[in-house]
Amino acid sequence: MRALGLATVFCFGAILFYISFDFPGWGDENSPASQHVSPYYIEHTMDDTSVPNIVTAILADYRGYDTLFETAVIFSAGLACFFLLRIPERQAPPARFYRHLATGITFRIEKGGRLPEDTDEFERIDSVWVPYDVIIGMTCRLVVPFIQLFALYVIAHGHHSPGGGFQGGVIFGAAIILFAISNNLRRTLKRMSEKTSALLGSLGVLIYAGTGILCMVLGAGFLNYSALASLLGVDPVSARSHGILIVEIGVGIAVTAVMVWIYYNLSSAGRQDEGL
Amino acid sequence: MEEQFPIIIIAVPLIAALLITALWWFDKRVCLPISIVAGLTSLVASVGLLLQVLSVGILEYRLGGWAPPFGIVYRIDHLNSLIIVAVSLVSLLNLIGSRTIVEKEFQEKVGAFYALYLLFTAGLLGILMTGDAFNLYVLLEIASLTGYALIGLGRRRAPLSGLNYLFMGTIGASLYLLGVGYLYLMTGSLNMADIAQILPTILPSKVIVLAFILCLSGLFIKMALFPLHGWLPNAYTYSPSVVSSLVAPLTTKVMIYAMFRVMLTIFSIDFSLNSVALRLPILWLAIAAIVMGSIMALAQKRLKKMLAFIVVAEVGYMVGGFWLGNRAGMSGAVLHIINDAAMTLCVFMAAGAIVYKTEDDRLSSLKGVFRTMPVSMTAMVVGGLSLIGVPPTCGFFSKWYLISGGMAAGHYGFVAALLFSSLVNTVLFFRLFEIGYFEPFPSGHAHEQQGHTDARNHSSSIAEAPLDVLVPLVATAVLVIVLGIYSGEIVARVIQFAIPAVIG
Repeated sequence: MRALGLATVFCFGAILFYISFDFPGWGDENSPASQHVSPYYIEHTMDDTSVPNIVTAILADYRGYDTLFETAVIFSAGLACFFLLRIPERQAPPARFYRHLATGITFRIEKGGRLPEDTDEFERIDSVWVPYDVIIGMTCRLVVPFIQLFALYVIAHGHHSPGGGFQGGVIFGAAIILFAISNNLRRTLKRMSEKTSALLGSLGVLIYAGTGILCMVLGAGFLNYSALASLLGVDPVSARSHGILIVEIGVGIAVTAVMVWIYYNLSSAGRQDEGL
Repeated sequence: MEEQFPIIIIAVPLIAALLITALWWFDKRVCLPISIVAGLTSLVASVGLLLQVLSVGILEYRLGGWAPPFGIVYRIDHLNSLIIVAVSLVSLLNLIGSRTIVEKEFQEKVGAFYALYLLFTAGLLGILMTGDAFNLYVLLEIASLTGYALIGLGRRRAPLSGLNYLFMGTIGASLYLLGVGYLYLMTGSLNMADIAQILPTILPSKVIVLAFILCLSGLFIKMALFPLHGWLPNAYTYSPSVVSSLVAPLTTKVMIYAMFRVMLTIFSIDFSLNSVALRLPILWLAIAAIVMGSIMALAQKRLKKMLAFIVVAEVGYMVGGFWLGNRAGMSGAVLHIINDAAMTLCVFMAAGAIVYKTEDDRLSSLKGVFRTMPVSMTAMVVGGLSLIGVPPTCGFFSKWYLISGGMAAGHYGFVAALLFSSLVNTVLFFRLFEIGYFEPFPSGHAHEQQGHTDARNHSSSIAEAPLDVLVPLVATAVLVIVLGIYSGEIVARVIQFAIPAVIG
């Protein structure tokens, strides 16, 4: 069976390799890919959308509909993780661990024991993963805001440089996950609850799809940002550029929230109680 | 308003899914009403779209206002407008009947279920409408991803079969994407109609032939054509009933449509059927699918697994019909996409209702089920007769076209396979009816006399599924018969124009 699998893979690879001799030359300016649609984008993007970054213009405007569904795919991934992994009923684990903050002594409280929930003197710690390190915790806390600031820059600057909603959203989400790893899941959940991340996830995609519907209501086609001109008080070409920014922000919000939501469910196997 | 129908059909379920995900955290009761309103809007718009296509012909919708090939277009003709109506109708009917089972199976995840349900429907509807080869991949991704999730939350071995489906489905989608990549490499375009215009200038080309084979193999995996059907039976058996009655009627049919679209619009029908020597091999694959699907169905002891193998056989019907390459065969295949969606929905919904009540889908546990669940079993009979191909039901008419197509092409192997499969379906369903009708009480009772009367009293009382499951089920059964009565009409007014004129 294994040999058969290897043979199949080898044959498939050999066919792909053999076929590649018929490809147009590497970087050939006469190849169909650089002759047909690409020149139009290179020559007209600035006039059509007033966006200097052609990649962003293709991604969010010329083929913006694909991107809407790519965002929806990411949203579905978050939803799927929630659907498959989340265990809603919170069964108390057999034992819980608490640290007395003043002395640093750790307590193990058996099932049924009285839990020191409502005092400030104790702090709950995870049973399997105890990231108690002042240096790491503090450093990450200090770094997180700067990472988030950079994420906002990446989202906002997608018009001019590499970047955009997906990249910025991933960086922003990674900052929150870094906080969760260096501190703990419960503290992160207090800052950004599961509900918040689900709501933000759908809000992000809704901003994108809603922009499309708004264009439709204003009399043009779905996602035809030039219809926003009257609303934004600019000419139709700049309206496209603004429209791209709006949907990039939507993508950024959706990606951030879904990343965090997936992390919550994966790291704690759906219990969202203890975890990485 | 009318010109926006194509986008309304898909944007409304998408936005409803987002709203449900958000609002569910505040009020758990909003999910089903929002879903039904979205499904209904989608259905109304798709019927409107079909009427538009019938009166004015092919429609084009430019997304973002960009002309093809620079932007993405939706292209709606007779072929897809008909299937769009079928898909939105099937999705809506199943949605109406879902409440009881969903609340029982998913309890605290009802919101996520309905959101995934609507995203799945939106993805399939998008695949049907799009005129862009890459956009098709994106929508395929969303329909598959939500499908994996929905299937994965069943009982017993559902997570494993969902994972298996995910691996196979991902390979299939990747092969399709690789094919589209090769097409882009050679033509520089992603728009289907545009690629079709460029292709004749670069043919013959080995890369294009490989792109064709890659696209087809990807879609074959997705549609579960034998021998690539491995993921299907378990995925459809162990998934929750509401999910199997959504996924089973729709996924394979939409993938068969996608195959036809790729053959027809991207590569042109002449190239697909004649330039590559694939016609006969694929026909024989289809025959193998029909024969093996039927034989495997015969070997099953569980109701849902038996139905799942019938789906495998039905895929062979449609693939074979298209690759016969004549008008009767192709008309039959398109008609069968519609009919099979209706009858698969009918039998899977009936099976869902029965499993909901009996908690067991082994055939042996269906004893006396005609007495306890007369309505569900009547619907099962209608669906079963249609799958066998008995005249007033729709299954007969599409099978008739397929058989006459096989005769016209002189491919008697295909004709024989169809007849064989009909015979096997007869055995399958009459065995089911026999167990349900003539074996009136469960055999588990030890005390002969005492148990006898107890069981009879027990089994003669009616214990039907709730009304909200029965209403859409009966509607589907009626649909199966109505579609049969109007088959000629559908072929003459719609399908006839969907088949390219070059096909004699």
